[in-house]
Amino acid sequence: MTQILFKNIDMKDLHTMKVYEEQGGYQSLEKAFAQKPEEIIAMVKASGLRGRGGAGFPAGLKWSFLAKDVFPRYLCCNADESEPGTCKDRELLLKTPHMLIEGMILCSYACQIKTGYIYMRGEFHDLSFIMDKAIEEAHAKGYLGKNIMGSGFDLEIHTHLGAGAYICGEESALLNSLEGGRGEPRMKPPFPAVEGLYAKPTVINNVETLCVVPYIVNEGAEKYASLGTEKSKGTKLVSISGHVKKPGNYEVVLGTPMREIIYDVAGGIANDNKLKAFIPGGSSTPMLPADMVDVLYDYESIAAAGSMLGSGALIVIDDSVNIVEATLRLISFYMHESCGKCTPCREGTRWLYQIVERIMQNKGQLEYIEKMEDICDNMAMKTFCPLADACVAPVVSSIKYFRSDYEAYFKNTPVGSV
Amino acid sequence: MSDNEVTLTIDGKSVTVPKGTKVVDAAKQVAVDIPVFCYHQKIGPLGCCRMCLVEVEKMPKLMTACTMDVAPDMVVKTTTEKVEKGQKGVLEFTLLNHPLDCPVCDKGGECPLQDNTFKYGPPETRMEFNRANNAKATPLSPVITIDRERCIACQRCTAYSERIEQGQGLVMLNRGFHNEVGTFNNEPYDTRFSGNVIDICPVGALTNTDFRFKARTWDLSNVDTLCAHCGCNCNITMGTRLNELMRVEARPNDAVDDGWICDKGRWGHHFVQSKNKILTARENGVGTGKVTSFPAFPLNWTTEEAAGSVAEAFKKIVEEHGPESVGFIGSPYGTNEENYLYQKFFRQGLGTNNIDHKTYQDTPGLPVNHYGFEQIETSNVVLLIASDPTEELPILDLRIKKAVTGCGTRLVSLNDQKIALDNYSSQSVQYKVGSEAVAIDALANGLARELGEPASDVDLAPSGISAEDMKALVETVRSSMKICVVYNPSALSGDAVLRVKRLLKLISKIPTLECGAIPAASMTNAVGAMDMGLLPDFYPGGVPVTDQEEIKNQYGENAPTGTGLSALEMIARAKTGELKALLVHRSNPVMDFPGGLQVTEALKNLELLVVHDMLETETTELAHLVLSSNGPGYDEGTTTNIGGRVQARKKAFETNQVPDWKIINLMLKALGDETEYRRFSDVTEEISQQVPGYQEISKKSVGKVGCDREVIASVDEPVLENQVQVEAGKDGSLRLRIATYLFAHDKILDASSKLAHHFQSSTAYLNEKDAQKLGIQDGDTILLSMGDVRLEATAMTNNRCLSGGVVVPRISDEQGVNALIDTKGRPAWVDVRKV
Amino acid sequence: MSGFVFSEKQEKEIEGILAKYPFKKSAMLPLLTLVQRAERVVSPEAMVAISNKLDCSPAYVQSVMSFYTMYHTEKVGKYMILFCINISCQLNGCDKLLEHTAKKLNIKVGETTTDEKFTLHREECLADCTRAPMMRINDTYYGDLTEQRIDQILDSLG
Ligand SMILES: Cc1cc2nc3c(=O)[nH]c(=O)nc-3n(C[C@H](O)[C@H](O)[C@H](O)COP(=O)(O)O)c2cc1C
Ligand code: SF4
Ligand code: FES
Repeated sequence: MTQILFKNIDMKDLHTMKVYEEQGGYQSLEKAFAQKPEEIIAMVKASGLRGRGGAGFPAGLKWSFLAKDVFPRYLCCNADESEPGTCKDRELLLKTPHMLIEGMILCSYACQIKTGYIYMRGEFHDLSFIMDKAIEEAHAKGYLGKNIMGSGFDLEIHTHLGAGAYICGEESALLNSLEGGRGEPRMKPPFPAVEGLYAKPTVINNVETLCVVPYIVNEGAEKYASLGTEKSKGTKLVSISGHVKKPGNYEVVLGTPMREIIYDVAGGIANDNKLKAFIPGGSSTPMLPADMVDVLYDYESIAAAGSMLGSGALIVIDDSVNIVEATLRLISFYMHESCGKCTPCREGTRWLYQIVERIMQNKGQLEYIEKMEDICDNMAMKTFCPLADACVAPVVSSIKYFRSDYEAYFKNTPVGSV
Repeated sequence: MSDNEVTLTIDGKSVTVPKGTKVVDAAKQVAVDIPVFCYHQKIGPLGCCRMCLVEVEKMPKLMTACTMDVAPDMVVKTTTEKVEKGQKGVLEFTLLNHPLDCPVCDKGGECPLQDNTFKYGPPETRMEFNRANNAKATPLSPVITIDRERCIACQRCTAYSERIEQGQGLVMLNRGFHNEVGTFNNEPYDTRFSGNVIDICPVGALTNTDFRFKARTWDLSNVDTLCAHCGCNCNITMGTRLNELMRVEARPNDAVDDGWICDKGRWGHHFVQSKNKILTARENGVGTGKVTSFPAFPLNWTTEEAAGSVAEAFKKIVEEHGPESVGFIGSPYGTNEENYLYQKFFRQGLGTNNIDHKTYQDTPGLPVNHYGFEQIETSNVVLLIASDPTEELPILDLRIKKAVTGCGTRLVSLNDQKIALDNYSSQSVQYKVGSEAVAIDALANGLARELGEPASDVDLAPSGISAEDMKALVETVRSSMKICVVYNPSALSGDAVLRVKRLLKLISKIPTLECGAIPAASMTNAVGAMDMGLLPDFYPGGVPVTDQEEIKNQYGENAPTGTGLSALEMIARAKTGELKALLVHRSNPVMDFPGGLQVTEALKNLELLVVHDMLETETTELAHLVLSSNGPGYDEGTTTNIGGRVQARKKAFETNQVPDWKIINLMLKALGDETEYRRFSDVTEEISQQVPGYQEISKKSVGKVGCDREVIASVDEPVLENQVQVEAGKDGSLRLRIATYLFAHDKILDASSKLAHHFQSSTAYLNEKDAQKLGIQDGDTILLSMGDVRLEATAMTNNRCLSGGVVVPRISDEQGVNALIDTKGRPAWVDVRKV
Repeated sequence: MSGFVFSEKQEKEIEGILAKYPFKKSAMLPLLTLVQRAERVVSPEAMVAISNKLDCSPAYVQSVMSFYTMYHTEKVGKYMILFCINISCQLNGCDKLLEHTAKKLNIKVGETTTDEKFTLHREECLADCTRAPMMRINDTYYGDLTEQRIDQILDSLG
């Protein structure tokens, strides 16, 4: 399989400037500086690279939306990585911090940005030391700072730590948090590209998205675009967790069959149990039943199957699991992480939690299921940010595909337990 | 349709509104009601509650009408099935943990949650669990109660605290369903503007502690009237029941208060039922002592009965000693009608110009536009001179903050003390206490030079201002496009106010600049009192007493034309016995005039002292005859705010006391004047005929929201020497600046005031240089004295003024700080020492 | 309230932090983190000190800090154990391991041992799901947990 991000990922000391450079690191800069910023944006557009943080928005397009002639502009790298099941950014930050810096330099050059922040979740304090060290090294080498490699282009990058709030991964909440406020999402419009950090035009991209850019600049947009499917170009990091024999982060070419990813890449179901369900893109994406395992791993195929590729966190669930129990855990997560601003999200997550908890105490009634679906309908697409929708996803999909797991409680015969 | 307008369709109705309007506001224009909780037009969109969901053609999701700007050809639908389901769903969520205690909730009857539920809500909740156990009523401050269990987390109040009040005192704490409204470390939320959160809370979570359980909202009689505390004249609704004050609420008027009131306006009106209220006429030892020149007043008079005799007694004294022997000290708190009639009584009835209402120098009218409050937001520069709006005119403070943070206005200030608004100013220039004339002249001089007008050099040194600072200030003023000058005449000493007017005139000559001013004295009707001619040198409407022709034309052959005595001169002449009789209307010279004991001595010397007031004061104690004045709550009339807006104050309480205007009418009649005023508006009518600037003013034109009076032209006044001498004090003495403090413990906010928690102890703010020289440290008790007047205060060194000065806020009547003013109207030199 | 003073070293650090941002307020989380790591708690006095540094109200500081779960108003132990209980860890049996850990420390989840050494908190996904079940103790991530491994780890923390 083609490896772009993970080519050298387990190489010793890849996190150091020395090793990273030996592997061709930072060579893209010279190529980039020889071109105009617009050309870099055009190249990223042509590569078909889509955002890897969850929404899958085309990166080049996003960059081209920046408000014209308004400066300063900012770059925020989203390293909040809090979507349950997702841990790929952690591995990149830990093992190849320079790749991110290189990507950020390219993005900043393309978008004429002079200040970049890496917003990391607070729990990544350990990684912030690694990242700070890498930034220092890049400074020493003249890849950061004033007049980088004589190009006349300046850039400073700073790390910034959050402090325990999933919602800060949502881009506008991230901005509020970075500005020193509560991580409540902002109204859109204005979009960050117009009024973002400090009300200035801002690019926000996921770690993985930015890490791909050096490859595109080095190898050309065509080469990247030659990988994957028509609408899903390139490779994607997948964090495979749950009931597989070889959990881990893997880089796969988009369009690979899901079956291959679960059974070959990740070694199949642990304990040779049977697959019951899988969550293809992080806890916010609807779960799919085992019989959909032949779906192709790309944005449009998974969407067609009724879910989303999301952040690329594939959670595999075997048949020993009671789906209701797993669902309750996810609802609990969203209840805990709702910022509390929108009424439907604040109240709805909690109400759903109370209902499912009651069901699991065998005190539920059959009508609860219908009611839950209606509550979900009242929450879905009615809030400020997609967190409420994210909570709805596992609930609705679990009812859709695993209704019998709920019904078992009403019959007093719950299916297994985790 | 201009470029700045957008036409869209809402529920089939076409509507055209300015760009940037939110859909929810556009809907109001065509009578489409979109329910909201969190949205408040003055606070701006929040998008929290999700109640305002609407369907917009071509958009897949329901949209929140409160966050969405109108767009051309947008098609909005508010009653589709999808919308109704959305609204029901949101309401169900909203009510999920809200107690159903409407029967005992203060908001009952005027609750948006109740109303929205009735109109849009689900028939019943499907919630099968216990509600969240949030706290029931707990004090948020001594005057506000919070019922957290009723809170729907709409964030209106916290957004108000952040965006309007801008103090971030009230905040959201915690996250998710643990969200709650609170303060730092559970400390009380007791700002100057805290009460507005009660009005804007869409449920019964934030309530007025004073009002809780006192009455049901529907049992209240509500009167739309004005706050009588400061020169802003904010619009309020007084809710009464059985002739007792239950509560005060804001009554939005964009031209004045922008929808807000300060806490003094909300909780400071209990004086209407003060035990010190004067309820009938009263004689104090009449027939004894010096009161010999007129018949003794019979006992148990009503004020009405007394009026005629008062007039006759004054007339008798005039006949014996001439018109110079009587005088009138009126009130910047009285209505225009009362003030107008009183000056008429003294001028036309008794032939004297011994009429005044203040102890500082000022003249009516402005050489430039008289700006209303709304002009502040459209000015690109606001220049404060000697003004501290936060303490003196609170709503002006909110207006200025709004302009600075939301409208791109720059604030600059020229002041002798640091003020809270300095945090918002781009330049604060400080002059030494007592050197305002230098500072103002220097600014004027700088501008004159730029304009090529004759300019004389001003030595800045005595003011303590650096040349660069002054240069920058000149530049800011010169380069502004529209400037609003806000100056406080009562905080300017000597003839500095005349220098301000000269400055204004100069500014108005800058061709590229639009200029206006707001004379920002803090008293309720300071502008009206001047307009109505409560001045020794001006008839109503700024007609100088020296303008014989005009005066004879307007007021008849016998109208006096010589300059009368000022208030301070009247006191001085009382002392020497030259002034025999004095009528004081709603003023307390003993406490509020310079001189302290000397004033008492002087007043005791009078043959006749009549005091017409609403509350007992140190001055009523000295009066031979006390007449009862109705005052705010009981009176009716118009007042003119500092922005030149004339509004009507209405009566909220029944009283069997005769209104003040009627008493003065009786006095006039006793002197042979035949005019009969049947209602206060008959006087208003006469004012509109007699007073330049007030032609358009009538009961009708004033209506509910008021009406701007025309600018009153100012007369060029001779200004003293260009270069003022700023004399030096002797060692150990500092120049005293008395600062205004909003919540002072006085006759109005007495010991039983709901705002007593704001009362402060006497504090003197020193410059560190002086403190060091005098060996004073923070917290030391120090003694300030001038002659035998003494005042104790706790020292605090925070450089609130430049060295050589000391700032003492007036915090109570007992403190008696006004006794320390120099009787010549200059800041006093006071001796300062540690005790 | 002025009981809290930053140490000289912290003042230096704060200078560095402030230099990163064009607006002071951005230093809010970094300063709160600085205090939390040094004191293992953020006291009201510290909030006042931070508000003074950043020119905002103490209420604002509290509002922000109470939004984030990594700041504590009660002092936490020397070792802060964040035990992931989210889905990938749940699927791999974290609930039993958490129970085991609590029992071993002789506290309930959410509590601190009496010697103030350990605090045990249930935590949402910490982004190390491929090594589930996992936990974070102070800055260190521990994956592929078993009862034995937990015992070993806890025992090794002197
Ligand atoms: C509730 C929520 C949480 C999110 N968390 C993350 C996250 O942890 N990391 C991330 O990169 N994007 C996250 N996102 C997506 C971001 O909002 C944003 O789309 C992304 O950072 C854009 O970068 P990309 O275009 O490179 O993907 C989240 C979105 C939502 C609604
Ligand atoms: S949907 Fe939930 S998390 Fe998102 S803004 Fe609304 S309340 Fe906050
Ligand atoms: S009124 Fe629109 S979201 Fe609250």
